[in-house]
Amino acid sequence: MAPKYRLVYFNLRARAEPTRLVFAAAGVDYEDVRIQRDEWPGLKPNTPMGQLPVLEVGGVTICQSMAIARYVAKETGLAGKTILEQAQADMLVDGLDDLRGKQAVIRKAPEDRKEQCKKELADFAPDFLSKYEKLCGPQGHLVGDSLTWADLVFYDVTSKVLAVLPGALDDLPKLSKVMDTVTANERIAKWLAKRPDTPH
Amino acid sequence: MAPKYKLTYFDVRARGEPTRLLFAAAGVEYEDVRITFDQWPAHKDSTPMGVLPILEVDGITLSQSMSIARFIARETGLDGKTRLERAQADAFVDELEELIPKMAGVVVFAKDEKDKEEKSKELDKLIAERLGKCEKLSGSDGHLVGNSLLWCDLVLFNIAHNIEEVYKAGTMQDYPKLTKVCDTVKANPRIAKWMAERPAGMFDF
Repeated sequence: MAPKYRLVYFNLRARAEPTRLVFAAAGVDYEDVRIQRDEWPGLKPNTPMGQLPVLEVGGVTICQSMAIARYVAKETGLAGKTILEQAQADMLVDGLDDLRGKQAVIRKAPEDRKEQCKKELADFAPDFLSKYEKLCGPQGHLVGDSLTWADLVFYDVTSKVLAVLPGALDDLPKLSKVMDTVTANERIAKWLAKRPDTPH
Repeated sequence: MAPKYKLTYFDVRARGEPTRLLFAAAGVEYEDVRITFDQWPAHKDSTPMGVLPILEVDGITLSQSMSIARFIARETGLDGKTRLERAQADAFVDELEELIPKMAGVVVFAKDEKDKEEKSKELDKLIAERLGKCEKLSGSDGHLVGNSLLWCDLVLFNIAHNIEEVYKAGTMQDYPKLTKVCDTVKANPRIAKWMAERPAGMFDF
């Protein structure tokens, strides 16, 4: 029987990886569809907003990567234990988009701008991460006392930042503990080992 | 007894208004705290992320305007009837929310006429793109998703009001289904009452 969920994206981590990490952590089966660039023009008009990723479930197609990730987190019990915890997870995920953006722009920048973009990330990250350190729970989870999608999104964004700024989490013990908790999670470790290797 | 919820923002609509519209639509009391730019520096370090709005509830402080709005929508039953509806409402909000800061860039923060003109060109393109997509996906009976008022309708309404009343009147006529959503919001008696009573704000945005 076909899995209940069908995730469609390019063969990249990028905006689909948070959702893939949630499925992995939850141990929930899904169709991980990765299309080629030349398939995209044919598919595009059939998507709700002309973009990927999309998630197909129960005859409905959802778009917007964070709406998808939040939905799958709710379906799999990884959104937060109470409504208030869910809101705290939401707010931390929302804030991470600023960090993600500063890192993502480096890859797309022309060669003569890359150093400048790296410097902007280096200037932005410490203050941002120290705010998150203050807000972070002490037990290896951003919110509450168990894994939520906020931990997974944090892991996804921060691992890319660490590739540019290896010392970014030095002196940030609570956030470092979140990274360790995520990578020590058996299901996540298994996914990280087997997921396709992609440029980003 | 003090209300359960305390919303703190500047004295404007902008990123705080969707949550205020939600409280109004749900008939739920809250403390609507509005601070001035002078008062802000003293507050800033005590907020989770150094930005407003924030919402204080049960000893916890939330930030990020759309997370706050989604939380209040959930608390008041205005986020969607099923998980799928909630995801669809989320998707509309994600698509629309950039319009507020981009519009603010033109109508509030433009440095001079030239800056305003350039930013307006970009804003017009963004409006056409985002509202175009939402028009295609919107329900036809006065709601973006499902058949009852949800928070995404209020997020749209806040933006459309600013587009029509502050930025460029006549824009919404290209989007009949979205206009119907906004008319449905306006006709809601609690919303109408709030709009008649709400503070004018330090500027009209």
